[in-house]
Amino acid sequence: MATLTKLSGPGDALYTELCKAAQNSIEGLRKVFFQSDIEQLATDTARDKKELLPLVQELVNHSLLRLSKLDRALCWSTRPRDAATAISRLNADEKLVYSYVEDAHQKGIWLRELKKRTNINPNAVTKAMNKLENAHLIKSVKNIRAPAQKTYMLYHLVPSDDVTGGSFFDAGDLDESLIDELSNLIIFHVRMQSWADTKTKRIKRETTPPPLTAADDPDTAGGKKRKRGPTTDIEDSAATTRKYRLSAYDTDDPTIEIITQLALPAYSRAYPSAEAIHSFITTTDAIRASKAAQLTVAEIQNVVDVLVWDDKLEKIGDGYRTVRGIKFRPPGFLGDEEAEDGDKVEGNGLTQVPCGRCPVFELCGEGGPVNAGSCVYWGRWLKEGA
Amino acid sequence: MAQNLAELCTVLIENHIGELSAQLFATLAEHGRLTVHTLAEHAKIPLRRVRTGLADLMEEQLALHFAAEEDAPTYYSVNWRNAYNLARHTNIVDLVNDRHGELAGQMVGNILQLGHARTGDLAEAYDLMPASKRDSGVDAAADHMPENGLGNGIAKASSAKASHDMSTFEFHSTLRALLRSGVLVKVGMRAYMPPSDLQEQIEETVISDQFPDRKVTGPKKQHDFKVAINALKRKWREDDAYSDLHDAGSRGAIKRPGDHFKSENKRAKVNGGHANGLLNEGEQSTSKLSDDLVVRVDFSRCTMAMRSRRLEQHAKRFLGGVTAAVYGALLQTLEGKVRAVHDELAADMSDDDESSLPAATAAEVAEILDPAIELGASIKGLATDKTLTNGTGKKGKKPHDDFGDFGIKRELSDSEDEPTTNGYSGYRDRANRLSSIEAHLALLEEHTKRYCKRVRAHGSSEWRVDFPALTATLVEAEVDTTIQARYGKLALRVARMLRERGKLEEKQVASCAMMRIKDIRAILTELQFHGILEAQELPKDNGRQPSRTLYLWFCDTFRVQHLFLQQTYKAMARTLQRIPVERERYRTVIEKAERTDVKGREQEKLEQPEKQALREWREVEERLLSQVDRMDEMVALLRDFSGRDTSLTT
Repeated sequence: MATLTKLSGPGDALYTELCKAAQNSIEGLRKVFFQSDIEQLATDTARDKKELLPLVQELVNHSLLRLSKLDRALCWSTRPRDAATAISRLNADEKLVYSYVEDAHQKGIWLRELKKRTNINPNAVTKAMNKLENAHLIKSVKNIRAPAQKTYMLYHLVPSDDVTGGSFFDAGDLDESLIDELSNLIIFHVRMQSWADTKTKRIKRETTPPPLTAADDPDTAGGKKRKRGPTTDIEDSAATTRKYRLSAYDTDDPTIEIITQLALPAYSRAYPSAEAIHSFITTTDAIRASKAAQLTVAEIQNVVDVLVWDDKLEKIGDGYRTVRGIKFRPPGFLGDEEAEDGDKVEGNGLTQVPCGRCPVFELCGEGGPVNAGSCVYWGRWLKEGA
Repeated sequence: MAQNLAELCTVLIENHIGELSAQLFATLAEHGRLTVHTLAEHAKIPLRRVRTGLADLMEEQLALHFAAEEDAPTYYSVNWRNAYNLARHTNIVDLVNDRHGELAGQMVGNILQLGHARTGDLAEAYDLMPASKRDSGVDAAADHMPENGLGNGIAKASSAKASHDMSTFEFHSTLRALLRSGVLVKVGMRAYMPPSDLQEQIEETVISDQFPDRKVTGPKKQHDFKVAINALKRKWREDDAYSDLHDAGSRGAIKRPGDHFKSENKRAKVNGGHANGLLNEGEQSTSKLSDDLVVRVDFSRCTMAMRSRRLEQHAKRFLGGVTAAVYGALLQTLEGKVRAVHDELAADMSDDDESSLPAATAAEVAEILDPAIELGASIKGLATDKTLTNGTGKKGKKPHDDFGDFGIKRELSDSEDEPTTNGYSGYRDRANRLSSIEAHLALLEEHTKRYCKRVRAHGSSEWRVDFPALTATLVEAEVDTTIQARYGKLALRVARMLRERGKLEEKQVASCAMMRIKDIRAILTELQFHGILEAQELPKDNGRQPSRTLYLWFCDTFRVQHLFLQQTYKAMARTLQRIPVERERYRTVIEKAERTDVKGREQEKLEQPEKQALREWREVEERLLSQVDRMDEMVALLRDFSGRDTSLTT
């Protein structure tokens, strides 16, 4: 093999023909040719099977064609020319290793698996792998399912979603900020379609605020969240019917915008479904085009599911609507999100008392090491509320 | 398991009646049913004191007693439900205040403190009657009521004498309204018998009446037997139930057949005569109740009302106040149509779940709904568009904005073409109001929680509420709230996902929750440690090594619900136990305030810092007690709303 003759003219022509066919097909380099396919393509270069055979054999020898078996029939697929030249310089072990990696395709193959399959000396495999990697024939990728294992695949291949974990993974790591932004975008989109707003402007400096809004006034005063007493209802506080914000960013403007969230009449409309959300996300400019093209409906559905579990969206019919009182972050909003969310955690009767969160609750008992009298949390709790 | 509950009940009884009864209750709770002698032995209390303590317990219906025959020894056992219900008093008074007004709330509060009360004695306590015969034995309870109030030394100011301005008419109509709504019920003799003995007695009666050969073997006879038993149970229950007709004072003489156990009606004959003499001309419309009618508060009825309130709050969270108010009215309408949260006697009669649920029309809802609530404001397009059919409401939007610019509240904008105060002035308004109500109900139906359901029958539409499903929703929501408050948002996400998706492996959990596997592992372990999640082992081979094992995580809501219930019991007990500890800190000033020469003249007799300390103490106590009330709401939700929990049956 080391002394390989130069590729003949008809062989070259056939190879070019096959490459063209492969490139035009949807599978690209993965396109598999059966004998009949090649015969059809090779009408110019070889008139019958007798002439075709040496040509194919020559290409295989030059590593320009890869031989494999599919359903007991022989078939061939093309290799890039530069890869072929690199391969032809390899020794037998390396070629064997290469063929296994090639077979694994977009899924990639573990190093350990490779050693087991090739059945050659593990050290030789490692050596071969290093050489192949340096020659840019293969590359190691991070597999999301087994981050500790080394996975290899051909250099020119793009790892499949199984390996990378899908759109939400960036180099094997979860892209949390992408998920976060996407969630916010989805909430924005759904919110706009699922509730009607009425805006009422009101003069800020009023001597007597109207009774309806009087209770909520402290919200506007310092921009601070109002502390709620332990006896306030959770449900009451959770539903933020009225949102206050200073209109524009102009503090001189004496009006306050009161936004009241109005329900749309039941059964009057279809709320956006996961598909609709997907088409919105992929057509908007908010997300990089390459990323947007990659996003699938299933992935969007996953994000939507998480939002449902987080009580941000609720399912209505086939579509989704934002839960009442859920706000999206306006673009460029840098406020502390946790602080805002934390305000909502009112808990219930059990979790409000120290016992509900007591680390030694199980030990607590009359005459025990901890009891109602010796408890330190109660004192703190009672002081807090005073 | 019952340990936490027993502890809580003991603390409650100690606060309510006193230490002696609490000790007896604890002994009975520990040992089951006992005779007086064995009880005295176990509790190490002299027999004489045991008898007094038991009497106190029985007055409050905290103990049950039954003797099989005349001479047989009487066995005593505890009544868990009533004992726990001591913790629910404040919530019930709140509820009655909301629905029937302050006056009713006050009366219910008094009846709750007494356990049960004779109408005549109640009326007397309110200074409504010239002194009459006191003969029912309830009076003893009335006598020691005010001092012991809540065991805190500073008795609540809700003494019966507080409202002198109540008229006889008000008293009786309120009482009647409460009876009719089911908040109050008549007490019959059977209320004191343990259910198991009652069951035995019923069986015995049925056998001796209908099965002369005393044999109930064989499928056919078994079935007949069961039917007969249920029929008798229902009959007895109806006998014991209040009815406008039978319990009117003037007709107290009517005696129902088969009523061997009641004695009050005989007396009613005696009192009934002069009872009517007090009524004025204008008050004739409501006939007076018999003085000897003994009433108590029906807790299961109140549980139902609490459930309605909770559902309304839940709907409010998702759909806003106005829709929730409509829902509340619907629930209240439906409440009138069912007997209890879960009626086990009715259950075996109906074969179809759907049809057994009560239904109500929009018109019925409109009757209960507060007419001051403006229905149009919260649904887009309803406010100004009179026709609901297309509901697009393009016209509806405009006026709001116009008025908004002038700084006028939107409510005013609607009043020009519609008299909002009371939409009943004309037929058209009424129709509008009904269609608005229907729109709100449709919104409730559309919601993913299915708050109600429309059933079309004979052209008119009725609305139904699937209580079992919604109760489950409420329980889940409560469990979720607890998880979120304790372990954070992410833990809640994981728990809800596992509940929805079933058993999942670690990696699947991570990918579904869109989180890193490392973070997920931490959450899963924490939740498992606290009993929220559980993992099922699935070994890959026979070796069962942990490293070669899959772990499928799951969340069993039922188990978590019971875990939280037990924890709530315990936390309630601790909260109540903390009160005396806190009280100790303020002991000197409380004692001074209670001295006979100071009491009633605190303002002049106490120093400024003392007054301050007293105020602080009241705040502390109030805080602890209101927290107990909140936990009771949770217990009601986790345990009582479904009506299927049997942990309290004696």
